[in-house]
Amino acid sequence: MHYLGVDVGSVSTDLVMMDENLNVTEKIYLRTKGNPIKAIQDGFKILKNKYHKGDIAAAGTTGSGRAIAASIIGADAAKNEITAHATAALETHKNVRTIIEIGGQDSKIILLNNGIISDFAMNTVCAAGTGSFLDRQAERLDINIEEFGEYALRATSSVRIAGRCAVFAESDMIHKQQLGYNQPEIIRGLCDALVRNYLNNIAKGKAIFPKVLFQGGVAANRGMKASFENALGFEIFVPEHYNMMGAIGAAIMAKFAVEKSGKTNFRGFELADKNIFSRSMECEGCSNSCEVVKIFENNNIIGYFGDRCGKWCNKLQHTSKDLLA
Amino acid sequence: MKATFPQMGNIYIAAKALFEGLGIEYVIPPKCSKTDLDIGSLHSPEEICLPFKLMIGNYIHAIEKGADTIILAGSCGPCRFGEYCELQMNLLKSMGYNMNFIVIDYPKDIGMMELYRRIHKISSESKKNTIQKINALLNALKVLNLMDEIEETAHMYAGFERNKGECKNLLIECKKDTLECDNAYSMIKIMNQYNQKLNHLSVDINKNPLKIAIIGEIYTIIEPYSNFYIEEKLMDYGVSSSRKLTPSWWVKNAALSPLKINSLKIRKNAKKYIPIGIGGHAVECIGEAVTASKNGFDGAIQILPMGCMPEIVSKAVLPTISKDLDFPVMSLIVDDMDGEAGYITRMEAFIDLLERRRKNALSGC
Repeated sequence: MHYLGVDVGSVSTDLVMMDENLNVTEKIYLRTKGNPIKAIQDGFKILKNKYHKGDIAAAGTTGSGRAIAASIIGADAAKNEITAHATAALETHKNVRTIIEIGGQDSKIILLNNGIISDFAMNTVCAAGTGSFLDRQAERLDINIEEFGEYALRATSSVRIAGRCAVFAESDMIHKQQLGYNQPEIIRGLCDALVRNYLNNIAKGKAIFPKVLFQGGVAANRGMKASFENALGFEIFVPEHYNMMGAIGAAIMAKFAVEKSGKTNFRGFELADKNIFSRSMECEGCSNSCEVVKIFENNNIIGYFGDRCGKWCNKLQHTSKDLLA
Repeated sequence: MKATFPQMGNIYIAAKALFEGLGIEYVIPPKCSKTDLDIGSLHSPEEICLPFKLMIGNYIHAIEKGADTIILAGSCGPCRFGEYCELQMNLLKSMGYNMNFIVIDYPKDIGMMELYRRIHKISSESKKNTIQKINALLNALKVLNLMDEIEETAHMYAGFERNKGECKNLLIECKKDTLECDNAYSMIKIMNQYNQKLNHLSVDINKNPLKIAIIGEIYTIIEPYSNFYIEEKLMDYGVSSSRKLTPSWWVKNAALSPLKINSLKIRKNAKKYIPIGIGGHAVECIGEAVTASKNGFDGAIQILPMGCMPEIVSKAVLPTISKDLDFPVMSLIVDDMDGEAGYITRMEAFIDLLERRRKNALSGC
C-alpha cells in the first residue's frame, strides 16, 4: 500500500509516493507553469504505469492549489502548507525546533516546541527573496540555477546588496556589477541580503533555536544555507527531500485521515487521460456577486469554488459524493 | 441635501435608520467591492492606508447616485486618520466633484460650539420637530446596538451550533431583511425577532470550540471586505470569534472619553505594555489581546492595514504579550492586493496550531 501526496505550489507541483513505513518511493517534480490541473495530470501519467488505484491507501493535497487538487483527485486530506511542512519535518527529525521554508513565492518560519507548532509567520506584503526571484537573477546572469549557490561559496568577500525589495535588489546588483565586482561576490552579497531580509522581516521578534531545518526549493542553494549559518551562528540542516516536504506532509496527513475515516476517496489514476477544465461565472444570487469557478471532468461538474454563501459549494458535496460512490 | 457616508461594517444600517427618522434624503453606497478599491487606488496617494482607498470608491459610487454631502467621523489624533477628511476633500475637488463635507469630531478637539454647528448643518435639513429628531437619533443608536449584539452572538454561537452554517445564514438573512425596512421601528422589530431566533438556536453546550479574538485597527476589522470576510470564514470553520471593537463600542467610547471612564478594562490591561495612547486603536488592540488571554481565549488575530502607525507599534508589542502570557497571536496585514489564498492558508495554519496546542495540553493531564 502506498500514500500519495500532492503539493500544488505557485512554481512547482510535487508528487510523492510513500510506502507503509513512510519511506519515499517516488518523487516527481513538475513545473506548475500556471496550469495546476495539467501539472497534476502530467504527474499522474507517470504514476499510472507503475501503480493502480488499489495501491493507494490515502491521498492528500497541500499548497496554494490544494482545494482544486483535492477535488480533482479525490483527496482524503487537503491541508495548508504550514501544517504539511511541519508534519513532514517532524517525521524525519523529531527534535526540530525551527523550520525555515522558502519556496517559489512564499517564505515561512515555523517554530516548534515538543513537536507542536508554537508559532509561525509567513511573508505578508512582499515576496522578495523567494525562489522566483533567485530564478530570475540566475537567468539574468546566465548561470544555471543549480550552480547559483556554488558561485556564492567561491566568493572571498561579500558585497552589500539592498535586499529589502526584489526590484531594488536587482537594480542594486546591476549597479555593483557596473562597478566591477565579480559574480561570486555579488551572488554571495545577494544571499546575505536575502537572509538578512528573512531574519528582519519574517522571523522578526521570534527566537530561533537549533535544530534548524531549511526546506523548500531554495534550500538547494548552498549559498543561502551558508549565509543562514553565518547569520545564525550554528549549523542548519537541509533534509534529504527538502523540496518535497509539503507533498510528504500531505501524504502523512492523508494517512492519518484515512485511519480515522476508514476509507479513501482517491479517484484513481485514470484522471490523467480525462478532459479536465474550469469555467468561471459571476453568481447573481445576491449583491456579493462572487466569481464562482466550476471544475468540469468530461462535461461533468466535479467542483465549485469561490462562492461566499455556500450556494454552489454545498452542491459540490453531493455531486462529488455521487461521483465517488 | 442628499447625504452619504463611507461603508464600514454595519454602520449603514444605523445610518439608514437615522436618515429615515430625520426624513433626510440619503444614499447608501454599495458594499465595498473590487471596483471601489480600483477607483480608490487610482486616485489616492500611493502610501495611504487601505480604508482611505475604499472610502474614495464608496464616495464615487454614492456621487453617481446623486449624493452631494459626505458625513464622516474625524479625528485630530496622531495617526493618519486625522488627515482623511482634508485629503478626501482635496482629492474629490481635484476630480471635479464639489462635495459638502460634514466632519463629526470630538468636542475636545474642535470645541462644543463647532460640533453643534456641524450637527446643526445636518439637522436643519430635517423638517421634523426636535422630539422627533431626538427620537430618530435614539432609534438609530438602538439599531446600531442591536445589530452589534446580534453579530456578536452569532459569532460566538457559531462554534456551538448543532446545524452547521445556521448562525452564518441567520446573520446574513437578518442584515438583508433589516435593509429592506423603511423605518427604524420595523428594523428594530425585525432585529428583535432575529435576536430571539438566535437565542433559541439549537446549540451543543458541551462542545468546546476554539475561541479567537479579532483585534486590530477598527476599520479593517469591522469592514468585512477589507479583511477577506475573516469572521464568516471562522464561522465556517466552526470557530467562535469575538470582536470588541464595534460601531456601538465606538459611540459609547466617544461619549464617555471626556470623563475618562471609557473602556476601563482595556486600558487597565494594556497599561503594562503600552502606557500612553499613540492614536488609532493601539491601546485597545493591546488591551484586547491581554483581556482575551485572561478570558480563556485560544488565540487572537490582529488585522491591520499596511502602513498603519498605531498598529505597527502594537504588532511589535504583541510578541512580548504572546511570550509572557503564552498566548498565540497572528498578525494579518491587508493592503490593496488580492491574495486571498495566502490569507486562508495563514488562517487555517493558525487554527491548526491552536487545535494542536489544545490536544497537547489536554494529553498532559
